[in-house]
Amino acid sequence: MMKRELKICLPVYKIVYSVCYLVILSVIQGVAYMDEIGGALDANIALLAVVFCAETYVMERSGKRNEIIGLYPRKRKARMVFRRMAVQTVYLCLLSYAGYFFFFWQRPLNLGIHSFWFLFGTYVAAVTATILFWGTLSMTLSNLFQNQWAGIGLSVVLWLVVVYSLGKEILGKFGIFAYVYRSLTEPGDVSWLWGKGLGILLTLVMAGLVPYILKKRG
Amino acid sequence: MNIKIKDLTVTFKNGVTAVNHVDLEIPHGIYGLLGENGAGKTTLMRVLTTTQKPTGGTVIMDQMMYEESNYGNIQKKIGYLPQELNLYPNLSVRECLEYLGDLSGVPKKECRERIDFYLEKTSLWEHRKKKIRQLSGGMKRRLGLIQALLNEPEFLIIDEPTTGLDPEERIRIRNLLVDFSENRTVLFSTHVVEDLAATCNRLAVMRKGSFLYTGTVNELMNMAKGHIWVCAVKDDREARELEGQYHISSKQFVEEGMRLKIISEKKPPLPCSQPELTLEDAYMYVMSR
Repeated sequence: MMKRELKICLPVYKIVYSVCYLVILSVIQGVAYMDEIGGALDANIALLAVVFCAETYVMERSGKRNEIIGLYPRKRKARMVFRRMAVQTVYLCLLSYAGYFFFFWQRPLNLGIHSFWFLFGTYVAAVTATILFWGTLSMTLSNLFQNQWAGIGLSVVLWLVVVYSLGKEILGKFGIFAYVYRSLTEPGDVSWLWGKGLGILLTLVMAGLVPYILKKRG
Repeated sequence: MNIKIKDLTVTFKNGVTAVNHVDLEIPHGIYGLLGENGAGKTTLMRVLTTTQKPTGGTVIMDQMMYEESNYGNIQKKIGYLPQELNLYPNLSVRECLEYLGDLSGVPKKECRERIDFYLEKTSLWEHRKKKIRQLSGGMKRRLGLIQALLNEPEFLIIDEPTTGLDPEERIRIRNLLVDFSENRTVLFSTHVVEDLAATCNRLAVMRKGSFLYTGTVNELMNMAKGHIWVCAVKDDREARELEGQYHISSKQFVEEGMRLKIISEKKPPLPCSQPELTLEDAYMYVMSR
């Protein structure tokens, strides 16, 4: 089943645009220090996850398959959604981990406060939570409104709210992008984990809502 | 299986009534649903598949009422081929069927056996490894038909399966429907009269959300008997004059001028004869009343 979900969820065009997105990011986002790479990627990967995962289930509607899928047992449909989310999340995570190294052509320096492995390890943790939260959010909103553009649009509005100063000031360390605003000079500052933890918690809540949304919205 | 529809109404949020207080009984075998585009056939079928909730009336499948608590059991008994269906273009025929079979809850081994059987029956066996995007329109319809049959439904609902197909493919689909209707109730919707003439002996004619006729094909033909006339006119001008007075169901240029088929309760005051009736004539008669 996973192989089939792979073929359904990862068509060539999605692979091409996601790779291009990271290549372009690594070209236009200037980084002087290795410590800045994670921050440069985290919020932008969220946008990629929003666009990438929005059609997870609503693709059935645009492909006019929703009327036959609608006859299938709800549990199996929910499982299908989870499998697709798993496939897309794993792909986006692997791509974003690889994307970290795309920035090395800029020859960033290491400030010497943190080791490379600490920087990369925290980035992996942060970006995984980011992808899980924003991908699930966009999929949930798309299912709720039965329209992937509604899912993308509303997620982007929320992204704009939390990525800029409003999110930073009001949510502080509980913000999903607290990692982006973390202090690069304070060794061992991992208070941003609160924000990512909260993001994962919300992801679980949204995942729990999937069967109910499928029941109500078809 | 027997389906009873009583006083069914579907009104959309924009105020359009697609199905208007209709009653119908669909017995075992193939039942035809005929009507022009926008008559309400697809809406009626969507109610029967449980994807559209009616605004009024009842539907009963055998002893089971169409209501939310029964939807799970009803859905298990239904196979549906919608008018438009774009299956996953990147999957092969076989992969797609296995995927949909799994989603519908058919056990793996049984699913594979059924897929093999239906691929053979529909002559898609040699195309089983082809990607769906490589299939012709007719092959896609046959594939759609197989997906509707995977759970061995007792009630098969087929919405305009022959639209846009070449004559050979249309005949093939029609014959498959007849083959697969054994031990099943099949509701076959179309606006192509020939398709029903070749497959059903009971039908309903729908227009603007209501039934103009329900019953057997023979009764429908009998109704039209004596009301269809064929006459010849010299030219197009004369034909146009007649068009203002009568319902003309067909026009054809012939050596002597034009041959017209007129629908009229009384014999037109012209040299006319009564042709051998077709289902299309009978349908046009009902629609013109």
